[in-house]
Amino acid sequence: MKETYTFTVNGIERTTDQDKPLLRYLRDDLHLHSVKDGCSEGACGTCTIIVDGRAVKSCVLTTKRAVGKNIITTEGLSDEEKEAFVYAFGSKGSVQCGFCIPGMVMAGKALIDRVPDPTEEEIKVALKGNICRCTGYKKIIEGIQLTAAILRGDAQIETNLEKGDVYGVGQHAFRLDVREKVLGYGEYPDDVEMEGMVYASAVRSKYPRARILDIHTEKAEALPGVLAVLTADDVPNNKVGHLQQDWDVMIAKGSVTRCVGDAICLVVAETREILEKAKKLVKIDYEELKPVTSITEAMAEDAPKVHSKGNLCQSRHVTRGDAKKALAESKYVVTQTYRTPFTEHAFLEPESAVAFPYKDGVKVLSSDQGVYDTRKEISIMLGWDPERVVVENKLVGGGFGGKEDVSTQHIAALAALKVKRPVKVTFSRQESINFHPKRHAMEGTFTLGCDENGIFTGLDCEIYFDTGAYASLCGPVLERACTHSVGPYCYQNTDIRGYGYYTNNPPAGAFRGFGVCQSEFALESNINLLAEKVGISPWEIRYRNAIEPGKVLPNGQIADCSTALKETLLAVKDAYESNPGRAGIACAMKNAGVGVGLPDKGRAKLVVHDGKVELYSAASDIGQGCATVFVQMVAETTGLGREQIINKGANSEVAPDSGTTSGSRQTLITGEAVRMASADLNEDLKEAGGDLSKLEGKEYFAEFFDPTDKLGADVPNPKSHVAYGFATHVVILDDDGRVKEVYAAHDSGKVVNPISIQGQIEGGVLMGLGYALTEDFPIKDGVPQVKYGTLGLMRSTQIPDIHAIYVEKEELLPFAYGAKGIGEIATIPTAPAAQGAYYAMDHVLRTKLPMEDTYYSKKQKAVK
Amino acid sequence: MARVRKKKVAVVQCAGGCRRQTENSGLERNNCQQILETKADAVSCEYGCLGGGSCVEACRLEAIHINDRGAAEVDPEKCVGCGLCAKACPRGLIRITTEEYNIYPACVSEDAGAQTRKNCDTGCIACGICVRNCPMGAISIENNHAVIDEEKCIACGMCAVKCPRGVIRDYNGIFTVREAKV
Repeated sequence: MKETYTFTVNGIERTTDQDKPLLRYLRDDLHLHSVKDGCSEGACGTCTIIVDGRAVKSCVLTTKRAVGKNIITTEGLSDEEKEAFVYAFGSKGSVQCGFCIPGMVMAGKALIDRVPDPTEEEIKVALKGNICRCTGYKKIIEGIQLTAAILRGDAQIETNLEKGDVYGVGQHAFRLDVREKVLGYGEYPDDVEMEGMVYASAVRSKYPRARILDIHTEKAEALPGVLAVLTADDVPNNKVGHLQQDWDVMIAKGSVTRCVGDAICLVVAETREILEKAKKLVKIDYEELKPVTSITEAMAEDAPKVHSKGNLCQSRHVTRGDAKKALAESKYVVTQTYRTPFTEHAFLEPESAVAFPYKDGVKVLSSDQGVYDTRKEISIMLGWDPERVVVENKLVGGGFGGKEDVSTQHIAALAALKVKRPVKVTFSRQESINFHPKRHAMEGTFTLGCDENGIFTGLDCEIYFDTGAYASLCGPVLERACTHSVGPYCYQNTDIRGYGYYTNNPPAGAFRGFGVCQSEFALESNINLLAEKVGISPWEIRYRNAIEPGKVLPNGQIADCSTALKETLLAVKDAYESNPGRAGIACAMKNAGVGVGLPDKGRAKLVVHDGKVELYSAASDIGQGCATVFVQMVAETTGLGREQIINKGANSEVAPDSGTTSGSRQTLITGEAVRMASADLNEDLKEAGGDLSKLEGKEYFAEFFDPTDKLGADVPNPKSHVAYGFATHVVILDDDGRVKEVYAAHDSGKVVNPISIQGQIEGGVLMGLGYALTEDFPIKDGVPQVKYGTLGLMRSTQIPDIHAIYVEKEELLPFAYGAKGIGEIATIPTAPAAQGAYYAMDHVLRTKLPMEDTYYSKKQKAVK
Repeated sequence: MARVRKKKVAVVQCAGGCRRQTENSGLERNNCQQILETKADAVSCEYGCLGGGSCVEACRLEAIHINDRGAAEVDPEKCVGCGLCAKACPRGLIRITTEEYNIYPACVSEDAGAQTRKNCDTGCIACGICVRNCPMGAISIENNHAVIDEEKCIACGMCAVKCPRGVIRDYNGIFTVREAKV
């Protein structure tokens, strides 16, 4: 007889005869989907459960080792605990993408059960094994503190907050998705189960650059339970790509691979277990070729061509005035070369999609940053009219730019059409790391000049990006790096040259900051050197040059009335000046909206149905909270409460295209479209005497488009972007060189949701600190040498005290109630501010990220 | 005032798998130093717990005992990490750590793997499976045994689960089973 394993799960005795990770048993056999699979390696903590009172990662523990144990998942919390966690996490803003949250809840509960009044320090230690990439932990720690207080009876739940009768712009709005994310019943694609659903996964290249001599699929196909093995021959048009279609769906026999993430064939099987077995049975004959591993190698005349048209993927030349002359005539000039690494988004939810035949085409349940983008890429691959492809977002477990390109969606669609059944494709964590585009690695030389008073005169710079195997968003990212390399200042002579090269490294594309993290690190570091030459403080030189309303930015755009960079500088002045020798400062600007002459439109449709207002707008909420923001816009305009407004989410079949969640654009661009539609509805509502039922069946559609000028447009003051957000960060070190505090002052126009914006800022700052100090993406001969746990992501025990400050001006832009978006800018000034702090401390200019010779790098080294 | 609650605990870096240990169960109690001086071959592994119980004698909280494998074992519920047992151990096998690092290698043998395999059921043979499976890159093999760097460790337990010889242990008793008391 087979051995059986018996244990208790949420009070019910369970027995199984399979020895497997408890995570798989809980998810697949018991369908307890609050237990999230973020890595299956023990590194991320999303699968945390409670075993005999201890928080344990269920991917590590096995059914065999769990015998006799008492197991609790989020589903098994008492009603009192559930309500306490939901309220506390909602009111404190602990929830963003939500993928880490059930794990955080369980780690929190295990602690509270032992220690009813935990200190902040104790909570940090309890969460050490749980990564959150969105919030910067602070809001989660506060959420656990409040939960503990409620459970002790020291605090009360205010039910009105979640109800949201007052839900307008600027209100302490309880996010729409708190309950489903805290309790873990909200569905991400990997939580979807469908009748007859099967699984697919790609066999990927062993080498970054190798010719595929042959693909032997016979043994895999012969395995019972294998439904199909697809190769490039089975793809109608073997190319995808967000903007440039240069990305092979699969590498065909006879062709050459471009990176280790390349798919060679796609196996479809009845179960995950058969799928894994079958993948191992596929044999591929390779002719290994020498990979192109760096920008320098890619530029060499005799370099192998990664793509047939050559290795230069994109270039930009941004120029205004006469930089050469201005620099030659400058009193002080600084030239310096900077290097920044690839970085991994490390969103908690690995890519996942479920596709199934639908009407005359296919439907894809997806986790992405734009359902219409995904639809477009799939339709290009299939050679179809886009309308035959329907894409709907489930919950998105973080994106940060890394889910703009298709990853699982297109291969799921391909497989579903082949086997005519629902197909789920979920990436393993390592597959995710090897496949999706990273932040571009940069090498850049920056020359900045100023006069005797420290007023900037001109900038000359040359920026080189490693875009890896595929273009992804290389063009626009490189362009933003160039256009924003000038900083939020006021000078008119610039000559900026940018080049993006293909290599056989993993692809690089969009990542929060969109190229600006790289170039502003260089520029802001140079500014400190100039300040030193002039003999003024780093704060002073920034204040003297800071852009203000009515002045002209280096790209020619006239700064609008809402511009509040100086206000952010003033907000951190005391913090900076009271910490001499240990504080660093940096500013940043970031566009809101795609701009540069592109048709960047926001669209929204409101439908009055069953006495409620349904909002249709295909704008992906990747955790930042735009779905809530839009409902707040409707509430503000109409005076309705949250319970009367339903956001129907991003679904290309029913919701109008409102562009990609990219370029910090959703709050402003889609927000304004929502406001416009709401205003029309409100007119009718007033006429109906405030009786919504009289408007039953009516629809209100609005499209927002504020035209911008193309890059290099022949006008005196081209308008590149609808709006810019501004920020100043101050990083303060302690005696050991650890980051003690960060002051992050932001101008994002009108703050729509004060709690959410703090979480956005704190999370952005922590991501920026990781970029500065701990995160790296080492690659050896084109192969990433990292796993999730070794990326250097900051953990709860490492966080400094982050002070999120927002300045709100009286004068605002006339769109979306004056909101400008916060998504990306929070990550940009942190790294140069940290660099400045170390420079202030030891006068060593660190030109490379992550910075060397810091408290953090020493800790890393001590280990090896 | 900030409360200090970061609890410390002792862990014994030997699981007592040495085969000859049980044969010597009649050894004099409570004096490991004497065992070491007079019967140096009492335990075949020169890095293993002598089972004499000097630590048991030293502990004021009855938080450490000799288990049925003849090795010292700590009761983490009772232990306060005062360090008296660590001082009493002539082989320096007891380490003081904090409660958050509940996963620890219970072997510090510097013998080569083959020798350790001969000597002991539960000795580290430096196979490196833990090193490969650690998600954090926190484990290295030093002097023929696994060493966890607590700076990197998140106590996920993966090494304890993957260790083929049960060397790496969980003092919470979840990933690995605690030995019975005798």
